Amino acid sequence: MSDNSLNNLPKGFKGMSHDMGSDQTAFKGVQWGKVMMWIFLLSDTFVFSCFLISYMKGRTSTVVDWPNTSEVFSLHVGGMPVPLLLIAIMTFVLITSSGTMALAVKYGYEKNRKMCGWLILATAIGGLTFVGMQVFEWSKLIHEGVRPWENPFGAKQFGSFFFMITGFHGTHVSIGVIFLFIYARKVFRGDFDEGKRGFFTTMKSDYVAIEILGLYWHFVDLVWVFIFAFFYLW
Amino acid sequence: MHPGIIFLGVVVGSVLFHIFTPWWWTDIASNWGAMDDTINLTFWIGGGVFILVCLFMVYCVFMFSYKEGRKVEYKPEDHKLEKILTIATTLGVVALLAPGLIVYNNYINTPKNALQVEVNAWQWGWQYRLPGEDGILGTAQVTKITDDNPFGINLDDPNGKDDILIEDDVLHLKTDRPVKILLRSLDVLHNYYVPQFRAKMDAIPGIITYYWFEPNKIGEYEVLCAEYCGVGHYAMRAKVIVESEGSYKKWIKEQETFSDLIAKKEKDKLNITLIVKNND
Amino acid sequence: MSDEHNPQNTPIEAQSSETTSGTSGTPSKDIDYVRPAELPEQDLYHGHSFITKWIFCQDAKVIGVQYFLTAVFTGIVGLVLSWLMRLQLGYPDLVPFITAEHYYQFVTMHGMIMVVYFLTALFLGGFGNYLIPLMVGARDMVFPYVNMVSFWMFFIAVCVLMASFFVPGGPTGAGWTLYPPQAILPGTPGSNMGIILMLVSLSLFVIGFTMGGLNYIITILQARTRGMTLMRMPLTIWGIFTATALAMLAFPALLVSCIMMTLDKMLETSFFMPAILQAGEVLDYGGGSPVLFQHLFWFFGHPEVYIVALPAFGIVSDLISVHARKNIFGYRMMVWAIVGIGGLSFFVWAHHMYVSGMNPWFGFFFATTTLIIAVPTALKVYNWIITLFRANIRMNTVMLFCLGFIVTFVNGGITGIFLGNVAVDIPLSDTYFVIAHFHMVMGIAPLMVIMGAVYHWFPLVTGRMLSEKLGKWHFWFTFLGAYSIYFPMHYLGFIGVPRRYFEMYDSPYVASAIGLNEFITIAALIVGFSQLIFIYNIVSSLSIGKPAGKNPWKANSLEWLTPEVPPAHGNWGEKLPVIYRWPYDFNVPGAKEDYITQTTPPSKVISAEVEKT
Repeated sequence: MSDNSLNNLPKGFKGMSHDMGSDQTAFKGVQWGKVMMWIFLLSDTFVFSCFLISYMKGRTSTVVDWPNTSEVFSLHVGGMPVPLLLIAIMTFVLITSSGTMALAVKYGYEKNRKMCGWLILATAIGGLTFVGMQVFEWSKLIHEGVRPWENPFGAKQFGSFFFMITGFHGTHVSIGVIFLFIYARKVFRGDFDEGKRGFFTTMKSDYVAIEILGLYWHFVDLVWVFIFAFFYLW
Repeated sequence: MHPGIIFLGVVVGSVLFHIFTPWWWTDIASNWGAMDDTINLTFWIGGGVFILVCLFMVYCVFMFSYKEGRKVEYKPEDHKLEKILTIATTLGVVALLAPGLIVYNNYINTPKNALQVEVNAWQWGWQYRLPGEDGILGTAQVTKITDDNPFGINLDDPNGKDDILIEDDVLHLKTDRPVKILLRSLDVLHNYYVPQFRAKMDAIPGIITYYWFEPNKIGEYEVLCAEYCGVGHYAMRAKVIVESEGSYKKWIKEQETFSDLIAKKEKDKLNITLIVKNND
Repeated sequence: MSDEHNPQNTPIEAQSSETTSGTSGTPSKDIDYVRPAELPEQDLYHGHSFITKWIFCQDAKVIGVQYFLTAVFTGIVGLVLSWLMRLQLGYPDLVPFITAEHYYQFVTMHGMIMVVYFLTALFLGGFGNYLIPLMVGARDMVFPYVNMVSFWMFFIAVCVLMASFFVPGGPTGAGWTLYPPQAILPGTPGSNMGIILMLVSLSLFVIGFTMGGLNYIITILQARTRGMTLMRMPLTIWGIFTATALAMLAFPALLVSCIMMTLDKMLETSFFMPAILQAGEVLDYGGGSPVLFQHLFWFFGHPEVYIVALPAFGIVSDLISVHARKNIFGYRMMVWAIVGIGGLSFFVWAHHMYVSGMNPWFGFFFATTTLIIAVPTALKVYNWIITLFRANIRMNTVMLFCLGFIVTFVNGGITGIFLGNVAVDIPLSDTYFVIAHFHMVMGIAPLMVIMGAVYHWFPLVTGRMLSEKLGKWHFWFTFLGAYSIYFPMHYLGFIGVPRRYFEMYDSPYVASAIGLNEFITIAALIVGFSQLIFIYNIVSSLSIGKPAGKNPWKANSLEWLTPEVPPAHGNWGEKLPVIYRWPYDFNVPGAKEDYITQTTPPSKVISAEVEKT
């Protein structure tokens, strides 16, 4: 749809009801893949919300004291315990990677293949770093005796919820990293420029795919902010 | 045969079945007649809607079967009619909800003079505990259950010593005295249900749930477990005997308390040591 | 002529009076104006080998049939399980093979199969895939590859579920609601491998249906053809659309509860497991909450029943409209009712938990919301019967099934009002009243719609008509038989017979229920076997059925207007259709025929006083 006809449509709230009432598309000018990602992320939000609400229910109705999160999650640097240091670094890395992703999307639309490709790689490295640090944290806690079924610091459910929620989130990040590497390769090869057909779906590639992946990446980042707030800070 | 006749037969048959059914609720033996009344009200309103809707449908089936060239009304909407129907339905809903919520309010607010009865549920049987002279049940925990302490009562809690323990599954109740059933489960979900009392609530391991009722008819009633709890669920029965004050007092005197049980277990242990000693 | 026409109709008549025949010249072009295409033609993958045309096929019509056949297969398994259950209930000593363990395994698998793998997959995967692209004027779903993968995920989920019949310990016998702690403890059949396979199968199902659901929603929102506004879509699409939206938001809760229960079983976590005494030993669990599972499960479970009901509502509206030759009464209200019921369905879940031991004050809230949701549902019922009023009703098999739906749905819906009112639910919960209610409203009523829909759309899918004579026999056996099973069953609940009871024993007041149980068993077996009439009808009509030709029912909606019947890959041939009206222009005053298809431009029916939609 050309830019001109998009501009002719009513804007604002009136525009929303006009678009909903019009024929053909409800979201004007929005590619199918983008709508798909938004709706999928809405569904995934419900998954993480169920996890976090269950966690809150478990936490508020615990019969045994909950472990002190700032103690459990602290790193010892030079003999001094620094609470929440590791996850502060993880959060910084993930948010930065969201930044590089946003830049990658911009360069992608400008058809600047080099910048776009490198920024996607940077995002992937950031994601990989995040997962690596998560693995490190897991191994540290497991070493200290935290298990899904019990832990030496307090209520059993602490370990269960921790491993389940961070595991689910880490899996989402890992899947994103895999796609980022695949897309970096596609960008460098010029697949998006020439509209090369995908291996599985046989559909033509387009730079909007990078924006769609970006949406997923920002979602993963946002979920982390909530996990960070509810699990580590509370 | 015109299909309309068969549909009409279904409606008429349903009404007749309801009027002449030999399968109707058990005679109520508790104070919760209000639940029965609410059910009756729902039958009038809901049943009325069912009959009216189906009869109207049957009427249409008779009057408007396919005829070439029949004049059909083309009226996509009728706001007035829709508004009337919405208001009527809402009124019907309110007429059902209001009494229902009033009854429910009574259900969750236990009268102050209710006798507390703790019902323990386990796969697949029941046992009971009464508060004894001090009127307070001792605290208890599943993790404290042993052979010597089948109810898991806290040994440090003084209130628990005079608790009356009933290890078989027959519970006696005094007639015309409200009872608050405190449900504890030792393993999985169960539910202590006597159809004649109408009330029920699940027993959840880890928490104590409750409901109350006032038995008002002397007799023997079967208890059915009403929450699926494994292969023995259908066999998990018990009995409630509602009796006069005199018989109830006699029954209570025969039951042992927790301190009686502790003393008995001590004596048994002593006897065993003596026997062992004598056998040496 | 009715006086309540939309006054906006007059400009059309005025215009037509200014022209002679209205077939050429600028005024007709104004009447026939439809916005130009916004999007380029969809890029479709065309399979050429047998595998890419019939197995790993990306054509939504083929995928729809695949879903349909797989779902029907699971439904037949569920049906046979129900016969075994009824044999035990009616004639307890007849079949020694049915032990208590086996009985509970049958109960569980029957329930899970019917609700999830049969009804949900059939309505959304079967009808959704076939009808959505056709009814909105698209060539296929928006993501055909993902659509194909979604079917195979469902297929694998079914295989995993069926595998649980063959593992040591057998399938889970925890009841379709899978409540912990019992579901994963010994004392419940299948508490080792069986429950794990069930949970894995459900998780796979959710993942597959998320993929499919994205397709259905986005095709409806973003891939409609020119002129097809949301308010010109058939109610079938509205029903399936809303149901899919519910699925996207409700399945996450099921997924989460399955994951947590799997961890409780496999890693001995204590999400749902409190301190438990088993066989004299205190288990290693502690601190968990069984009620948390129930909240998560029913947050999924209640929308799930509307995921089954809403497509049925939508489909039956279209079936009634076509075969009564009359527009569905109150289309806009019907749309808002579907959407409203869908939205409200997220706020009523704990009416399944009135006696669960949850905070008692919740009962007030959920009883209120549950009875509120009755209002839009009742409005839909009124609109269906008002549609029949002053219509021209063809009493064929399709219409009979619609009428059967109305009777059974109103019956089941009313008993739902009983149960929704919390004080009434207390004596009736966990009794046969509940079983009778949900079978009537979720088993029989949607099944009536499914069968009617098959008789209705079989000519489109295969090009042949099903036998009317066999259809009528099939209908009367099924409707009368099923009604005789479930209507009296409510009264078993009134006398207090609890559900999930292997045997009642000689309880003094239920001795009289023996005869009723026997009657219900016989009726169930008769209804079950009479489905053979249906299967025979389908199989034989494939070869000897009367050729249907194009649009044999003289319907208006797009799926009947494809250039080829059955529709070919790409659905529309060279040119996508253009829409000028809603699908309910039946018996429009002033029109020559008793129907005006959606693709008929206004200039062709100038004299018709249509509702401007």
